[in-house]
Amino acid sequence: MAYNEDGYQITRHICPRNCYDTCGMLAYVRKGRLEKITGDPAHGYTKGKLCSKGQNYIQRVYSSDRIRFPLRQMGRGSGRWERITWEQAMEIICERILNLKDRYHSTLPFCLNKYSGNFGVLHSAVEGMFNSLGPTTQARGSPCWSAGLDAQLYDMGYNRNSDPGEMEKADIIILWGVNPAWTAIHSLPYIYRAQEKGATVIVIDPVYTQTARKADYFVQTKPGEDGALALALAKIIYESGNGDQNFIDHHTLGWPLFKDYLANLNLDYLAAQCGQELGRIQELAAIIGSTRAVFIWAGFGLQRHIHGGQTLRAIDALGAITGCIGMPGGGVHYAHQLTWGFNYNFLKDPGNRYLNINTFAHELNHLQEQSVKMLWVSCRNLLAQDTAGKMLRKELDKLELIVTVEQFLTETACYSDIVLPATTQFEEMDVVPSYWHHWIGLNEQAILPYFEAKSDLEIGQLLAKTLNTYRPGSSSFPIEKSPGSFLDEEFNEKLYALLGISHWSELAAGPRQAAVSTTAWSSKTFATPSGKFEFFSAKAQRENIPPLAQYHKGMSPQGKYPYWLITSHAQQGLNSQFQNITKLAKNKKPVVFIHPQTAAVKGVKTGQMVRVYNKLGVITLQAHVSPDTPSDILVCHQGWLPGSETRLNDLNDGLPTDMGRVSTGSQGVAFYDVFVDFDPV
Amino acid sequence: MAKKIGFLVNSDRCIGCHACELACKNEYQQEPEIRWRKVYPLKEDSFGGFAREFASLACNHCEDPACLKACPVIAYTKREDGIVMHSKERCIGCKNCMLACPYKVPEFNQKTKKVEKCHMCAARQDRGEKPACVVGCPMEAITIINVNDTIAGAERSLPGFPNAAITNPTTRFIKPVVGRQVRRDA
Repeated sequence: MAYNEDGYQITRHICPRNCYDTCGMLAYVRKGRLEKITGDPAHGYTKGKLCSKGQNYIQRVYSSDRIRFPLRQMGRGSGRWERITWEQAMEIICERILNLKDRYHSTLPFCLNKYSGNFGVLHSAVEGMFNSLGPTTQARGSPCWSAGLDAQLYDMGYNRNSDPGEMEKADIIILWGVNPAWTAIHSLPYIYRAQEKGATVIVIDPVYTQTARKADYFVQTKPGEDGALALALAKIIYESGNGDQNFIDHHTLGWPLFKDYLANLNLDYLAAQCGQELGRIQELAAIIGSTRAVFIWAGFGLQRHIHGGQTLRAIDALGAITGCIGMPGGGVHYAHQLTWGFNYNFLKDPGNRYLNINTFAHELNHLQEQSVKMLWVSCRNLLAQDTAGKMLRKELDKLELIVTVEQFLTETACYSDIVLPATTQFEEMDVVPSYWHHWIGLNEQAILPYFEAKSDLEIGQLLAKTLNTYRPGSSSFPIEKSPGSFLDEEFNEKLYALLGISHWSELAAGPRQAAVSTTAWSSKTFATPSGKFEFFSAKAQRENIPPLAQYHKGMSPQGKYPYWLITSHAQQGLNSQFQNITKLAKNKKPVVFIHPQTAAVKGVKTGQMVRVYNKLGVITLQAHVSPDTPSDILVCHQGWLPGSETRLNDLNDGLPTDMGRVSTGSQGVAFYDVFVDFDPV
Repeated sequence: MAKKIGFLVNSDRCIGCHACELACKNEYQQEPEIRWRKVYPLKEDSFGGFAREFASLACNHCEDPACLKACPVIAYTKREDGIVMHSKERCIGCKNCMLACPYKVPEFNQKTKKVEKCHMCAARQDRGEKPACVVGCPMEAITIINVNDTIAGAERSLPGFPNAAITNPTTRFIKPVVGRQVRRDA
């Protein structure tokens, strides 16, 4: 329950963004207006602190750019908007739904594309509303983390990590392809405290990041070649007698095969592949091999390559050989699903047809039966974020109706026929778990919805109600149930036991930490079929994936396109979110970072505009000369700036990663296997 | 010696996230363009890096405040504990203090037509609470110190910080330290 202090009504919230930190927040409301936001000190991981994006939420909630009313666009992409009522919006949508049903005698023409704009449990109501219509077409998978999730499923059988506080017990922390100083800032104080206690922090990354700046040791690798480094380290550590034979003998499966595989690897070749001198790798192996608790945090970046899953399996294998998995302060940590055990009633599949979210345009184009006629978008900005953007527009042009639920006129909203205003987390109730820490918290409603905004849940209920008025029995979505009753049905005894509560409403007293082992795999009993860490995975073999963690040569720039284009997360943004709001955006134009030598060869100086191109297209960016990036990599930060025509992924082929199907239903995207050339404008 | 408080800014911990600025803005609901605290990137090559080092600065609550000397209406006072206070009631918006401050701290509020600046959350501190920036910094990089104490590693300046001899600021800094780098192109 909300409480009062100094004339403020104070409510608890959880930032529902797709972010490691999933912060606890307090909202201070006076006279119905949100005046102040702070971190929630009761949250044990974020400890009352917020990032600048979180601190800036008031600007987002009350932004003059926020969509206030349902809108109809007269001509997709025309910008000719017309304010309509909710009744009119529902009328247009329902008439189209029923018309399509009558014409095609099927619900497959209705397609849903939703992902991670809001990770609140009740936002699955969008899927729930769709599933209530009958079998529909739905985008499935994740552009984010699929390959890495599968890799850990093969090796350890479940996605489990230690409490981030375990980093303080580590002797060595390896931050591998992850930049928490920008993307998980609340983990930094744990890392600092570990350093103060004497731990060595090693950052392995193709780019010198802000996190690398804070490390004791920065090791630069070629993009997509982290597997070569991991296996070289594993081989050196094992062959120099620094492996943990006890762990290997008692807790692993397939070691003889993997040992033979390691024995046949050529260190000089691996060193050349990852771009490091063998001497440096041996030095690193000596540091890692001579310590006990090695905490490896493997980021999402390193698996955004065609062999991304194999890369993570190689890193897992390194962790197993050092015996640090299951050790306090040790292990290989990627992401977890420990606190996501909701009932997911909304996701009960009535026989849907699923399309790979990462090749959405291509899949729409290649449907064998019953083409899609209507698209519903929520929690996504696919036009800004998808690969194959040009093809996507062509496919969207074929649709009869596009409905987007949004807070702002994003590129996707601007290419829709109907835009419905969505609430923020301050205007709705929800429960939000994290994939990094083990806390779960309640999101209370602090303020009334902004103008006519509604939550995904309310919109689903309104649509179901209207549809059934037109034609009874069209939707089975529960139209009268309150958000609280939906939450009642989402929780179960197991989840309550984990959280040590008997009802979700107790979360109003503060977020709860799940009673899971703070050290992942401390029992050293794994969730694999063998109960062991599997160097050899029969499950992978059944998926037509090599059963052993293996090195596969990654892609590299050549010929006409001699530079990698790495499009990592921005500091003041999250995918396409936030940069339209924050006044802190460092650059008003999309920027590309170029190494001084490379810039000199092209005669480019900071501030100059450059054309970055490949066979798929051209984008124009402002050059920023920086030694943070190596000479063969151009770095851009993701984001969506209103009015900007620049879509980084227009240059992205969207190659699939090797893994991802088991955990998310689709392979991931090799977002970082993109090659370009550039010229000054 | 009486207690004189000041900010200790740990640039070795700072990641340039700007949360301190916004925690301050949140607390006092400042106008969009006003920032009592600002995060500045240090000059390139100051510490061998490239805009990866930052200084988070608010009012430096100087021992010899230039603002106080320049103010014609005695809007500025210096408290016993060293906090330089500014009175909105007395302020006439003449901007003399803005010209005098070597650190460009006072900011002009276009709505009220008066100057405003950081008061080190004096009221919060009087209640025994820490300033909003100190509480809001996710890196625990800002603390309040007694400037008469000897703090290991604390220095009076950072590259780009105006000469401390002018107004004798009470802000102290921990300098950034850069780790070892093994680059591919080295």
